[in-house]
Amino acid sequence: MKTPPEDHDLIRWLDGEMNAAERERFTSRLDADPALKAEADLMQRLSTDLRANLPAEMPVPFGDFFNSQIQVRIAQEELSENAGSTKQASWLDWFRLPGFATISTVVAAVIVAGVMILQQPPTAASVVLSTYAPSQGVQVSSYHSTDAHATVLMLTGLEDVPADRKIVGYHIERSETDQAVAATTLYGERGEVVLVVAKDARNQPRLLAAANSRG
Amino acid sequence: MKSLLSIALFSMTLIASVPAQTPAPPPTQPLPVVKPATDGKVWGALVFATNEETSTHSTEKPPANLADLPKRLGKVFAYKHYEILGQHLQDVFREYESWVVPSKDLFLKVDSKGPAEGGGVNLHLQFWRDQQVLVKTDAVLRSGSPLFIGGPKWRDGQLIFVLVLQ
Repeated sequence: MKTPPEDHDLIRWLDGEMNAAERERFTSRLDADPALKAEADLMQRLSTDLRANLPAEMPVPFGDFFNSQIQVRIAQEELSENAGSTKQASWLDWFRLPGFATISTVVAAVIVAGVMILQQPPTAASVVLSTYAPSQGVQVSSYHSTDAHATVLMLTGLEDVPADRKIVGYHIERSETDQAVAATTLYGERGEVVLVVAKDARNQPRLLAAANSRG
Repeated sequence: MKSLLSIALFSMTLIASVPAQTPAPPPTQPLPVVKPATDGKVWGALVFATNEETSTHSTEKPPANLADLPKRLGKVFAYKHYEILGQHLQDVFREYESWVVPSKDLFLKVDSKGPAEGGGVNLHLQFWRDQQVLVKTDAVLRSGSPLFIGGPKWRDGQLIFVLVLQ
């Protein structure tokens, strides 16, 4: 069974094997053939996802069986075509097997899904869905620590707090919010007022410490 | 004569004992206390991670269910000691913002986005340092799984914000 020529071209295009003229012809075909374009886009996305999610090297599951089957198919192809080509075989030849595009798409999707599932934190864990740092110098990263059973949001590039600055901590037990004046009063352990949180005209928080609080 | 005098005195006493004609004010009723709807309760703390023992002399202790907090922080941050500088137990209001302020220096604005699938609560968080927001994040916070926010360096250590769904 012959592999359709467009499959060869698609694989060669994806692998960057085409020279400039071939690439230009193939690009024209992509522009004219929406189905081929869609398949090319899909293959490119899969390639990108695989590179992003898989390690550079990983063992092939049931590798011996897989290799033996590939070798059988190669031998069958060679016999049927009686090909005397001396071109060296490489792993790229797998891409030229009939129906490989479809099979590889399914296999790749399963592998990507599996890797993504493995990378997910346990369902009972907290999850960071998105982050945004308004300051350009600040970088944010997040991950789940299974050792600590905690989700970590790490900020780097922050300006240090001056060493001579005294950090004053509070012990807040409850709060009351007055919607009419958009202010929240925070109370301490003994029911005393510790802080009032309000917002200014620019929607910035203003924290007013009570005179008898630690702050 | 004596009996007439007694009657007159009795009558005057009665008249004097009659309350004034102005109606008594109705008994005051306390205003109904409307507790806002909440999506849970969070515990927030500002922790100083350091290699020096008792560097701030803070006496704050975590709640009983978080007694292992220093040990868990030690799995993530490379410091020997973890001192709680301040802590705040706060309702997460459903319809308006909540503030978690264990310190004036670093604090959190919390907006609830409702319960999360599989438990916990969807939150929009803003981590503030004075008048500057350091990071905005959307997160699902689940009980038993704290969020550690690695903040700025201070002295020989680092300030860490801990947020836990109670």
